Amino acid sequence: MRVLRTQVVVVGGGAAGCYAALNLHRKGIKTIIVCKGLVGKSGASLFAGNLVLSGRTLGNTEEQARNTAEFLIKYHNQFLIDQEWAKRCGAWIASVYYPELEEAGLYFRRDDDGNMVVSPGKIRSIAANVQGNSGVPFMDLRRKQVIKAGIETIEETVVTALLRNVDGSVAGVFGLQVLTGEYVVVLAQATILATGYSDRLHTRSTGTREMSADGIAMAWRAGASMVNLEMQWWHTNDVAYPPTWQRMQIYPNPMLGSKKSARMVNIDGEEFFDQQKDDPLAFGPYTVQLKALAKQVHIGKAHYTGGYYAGFDRCARGEVESYTSYAKVYQQLGLDFPKSLIETAVTAHYRQGGIDVDTTTMASSVRGLYIAGGVGGHSNGLIALVTYDGKVVADSVADNLANLREPGMPEEQAEQERRRLENLLAGGGGAAACAPGELKECVRALMWEKVGVEKDAHSLNEGLEEFARIRREAVPRLRAKTPVRAANYDWLDAIDCLNMIDTAELVVLSSLQREESRGPFMRRDFPETDNENWLTANLLHKAGSGYRFEKRGYNLSMFRPDFARAENLAVPW
Amino acid sequence: MSEHLRASGAIDARRLGQEENADGLRARNARIAIGDPVMIKVRRSDDGRLQEFQAPYQKAMRVLDALNAIALKDAPDLAFRWFCGSKMCGTCAVRMNGREVLACWEAVEPEMTIEPLRNLPVIRDLVVDRTPYERKVASFEPWLTRSVPYSGFPEPLSHRDIKNASRAIDCISCMSCYSACPVIGLGSLTDFAGPAPLVQLGQTALDPRQDQRQVARALSHSGIFNCISCYKCEEVCPAHIPIVSGVIEPLKAKVAKLVPQMAHHPLIFRAVVARRGRIDPGELILRVQGLRVLAVVPRLVRLLLRGKINPLRTLLRVKTSAAGAANRILNGAESSS
Repeated sequence: MRVLRTQVVVVGGGAAGCYAALNLHRKGIKTIIVCKGLVGKSGASLFAGNLVLSGRTLGNTEEQARNTAEFLIKYHNQFLIDQEWAKRCGAWIASVYYPELEEAGLYFRRDDDGNMVVSPGKIRSIAANVQGNSGVPFMDLRRKQVIKAGIETIEETVVTALLRNVDGSVAGVFGLQVLTGEYVVVLAQATILATGYSDRLHTRSTGTREMSADGIAMAWRAGASMVNLEMQWWHTNDVAYPPTWQRMQIYPNPMLGSKKSARMVNIDGEEFFDQQKDDPLAFGPYTVQLKALAKQVHIGKAHYTGGYYAGFDRCARGEVESYTSYAKVYQQLGLDFPKSLIETAVTAHYRQGGIDVDTTTMASSVRGLYIAGGVGGHSNGLIALVTYDGKVVADSVADNLANLREPGMPEEQAEQERRRLENLLAGGGGAAACAPGELKECVRALMWEKVGVEKDAHSLNEGLEEFARIRREAVPRLRAKTPVRAANYDWLDAIDCLNMIDTAELVVLSSLQREESRGPFMRRDFPETDNENWLTANLLHKAGSGYRFEKRGYNLSMFRPDFARAENLAVPW
Repeated sequence: MSEHLRASGAIDARRLGQEENADGLRARNARIAIGDPVMIKVRRSDDGRLQEFQAPYQKAMRVLDALNAIALKDAPDLAFRWFCGSKMCGTCAVRMNGREVLACWEAVEPEMTIEPLRNLPVIRDLVVDRTPYERKVASFEPWLTRSVPYSGFPEPLSHRDIKNASRAIDCISCMSCYSACPVIGLGSLTDFAGPAPLVQLGQTALDPRQDQRQVARALSHSGIFNCISCYKCEEVCPAHIPIVSGVIEPLKAKVAKLVPQMAHHPLIFRAVVARRGRIDPGELILRVQGLRVLAVVPRLVRLLLRGKINPLRTLLRVKTSAAGAANRILNGAESSS
């Protein structure tokens, strides 16, 4: 077992984790990144399609700047967001984020005459090289910045547990290097979890191979509080097939250099969503689309699993191909572009909620444990926001480092964790064993069926019973099929699976607690958005071996909903 | 060839012959119906053998779907790497029936043999060790160092200036080209960095903002003139990057400008063609080798006997009727590049 010591360990190599590490490094603080995949090449950050312009950037008018803030607070977060944080974030993005990225070399798409290509409209965005693919060069830049800085990275290594000091503070992380099967312990004064937005808990999920809610599960075990875990975001128009492309979206956002965008039609070919007409303010109109789809599902003209279509048939080919990568799906399937529409289906996307943080410091409720990016429960959705988290957490950890204790090596915990992982590997399969890959799919199917787009107390309680049965019957038999150590993804699946089950249960509990419908969160038994009782954070605290819920109000300094109660499907956001 | 590429004059090697051979493959695949068995053989690393599997065909099934089906049902211990599943992370490239494909992007074939990429050490089954590539890329200092201070957002820059770099930016470092490259296949016989590292280098080296001294440093250990322009890399690139025409050739032009001693042979070759309108092996050897030619006299004699060199022609027929055209083409190419 390798034991490394550093001042700060960052778990995750996406936009938030990389930026936190780069900033800490710049401050002269020794930092190690542990990444389950490859830094800058795995996780959700790659999927950033374009970069939304905030503030007065690039000639944004006062109105466009205001619209962008409104879009973030209303459409992206349904008011479940600290508006003062949003203000700070917006100011930083406008003044630091873009220039810093460009100075480092990121290429923001220009035309041949040197004008920055912008999507027109009430909210505007730009792209890194190509719209639909901006996350790739963005994260490639981060990967190279990390290499240039000489920050130590431990890649393809899954962190399986947070280690604790005797006073309960976090002492570092325990991990398994997937390619070799060796263990590694990284001890640090501060641990930053930056494990990302998506957790791939549903049959159809945008999350990537390595996502399995590890951050939420580990933080919960360490005693951290959660917030709004029930607030699951959905993509409404991800391609229905092939299976591996379930996270490939027919982007509904306005296109660079064009006034048009994709539209959606039902089984009868009747259009039911066009962002330009239906809500130009909803820049990433995912919730608006979802509500439009729900209405179609209710009248039998679409299913959440398919039977409706999306595409660019109202656009000219060149209009789409000039600055976007949106045609690639159609072309690769041999479809006639842009005339053909493709069948689409709903996919679980971001988890809007997550680990509860103090947004001024990014500290969790556990000492020594900090959070950056999507795994936090404070915001939703954009690569710029998680980058800001990376800045804030680096500042706050640097300020507080002197007060954080030097960790000792928690030998007993490390040994216990080692044994737990060996048990998931040892013994091999055998007839009585439960196959990790199958159990993963079983958890996802259960979430899809009982905790899908629309749910109620009955389905949620059934879900809880099913999880209890899985814990009783399947989990004790969970084993990898062969005891090979190197690149044994079956073993990794077993480790992932337990995190998924723990997190899924918390999601179900939180969903039962929120007795309303809000944006993408739809309860059949509580169809109204209830601003009287539920314009609040839904906090979940660990209490002994159990849990308790708490409500906490939000700061509404800029925008507030203009109604007390209303049918969620009739609410425009 | 798409109209866009035709207009830009670039060759899309991947599409060459595709229309003519509208073959074969698509027709075969069109015959697979949902539920039909896809026959898959996978190279396992423990015993080096091909293991056979079957998976039922699903709509628009990709190679990765087939691998996932195998892992779920028959061989959970089959090692294959993937993260995004949709052509962004570039970690799932394998060889399918002998050609490099991104598993997440390529359609299954009714019968397919799946093997790991070549030219990289295999960790297990289909998982290769990416570190040799990563080391090469890092040695190129693949980051922007500005020769002129940054002027603030947005800085003056046009797409025309950055076109080739912008194509290189589409690289997802999937290593398909690195596996397909026959020169890399020669191992340590050459010091060729390989197509993927050169594309990574091109992202900054072909960027007009980049400090040219850094470009020169990187190019000087790129072994770039070992590239034989076979276009294998372009053929397999899932990101459709014109690797030879849009990256390696512009980088070679950079070498000629920034590290001319490294481009000794090609520069003389070019000069000979410009002067004579044809290549003259005799002059080429004399000028490339200089006085060292005395050390290879026996070889010269052999070349002479085989008629490969002709001293009389070298001395007397300096200019051919093609010289004007050659000059025009070469100089024209120079002024437009």
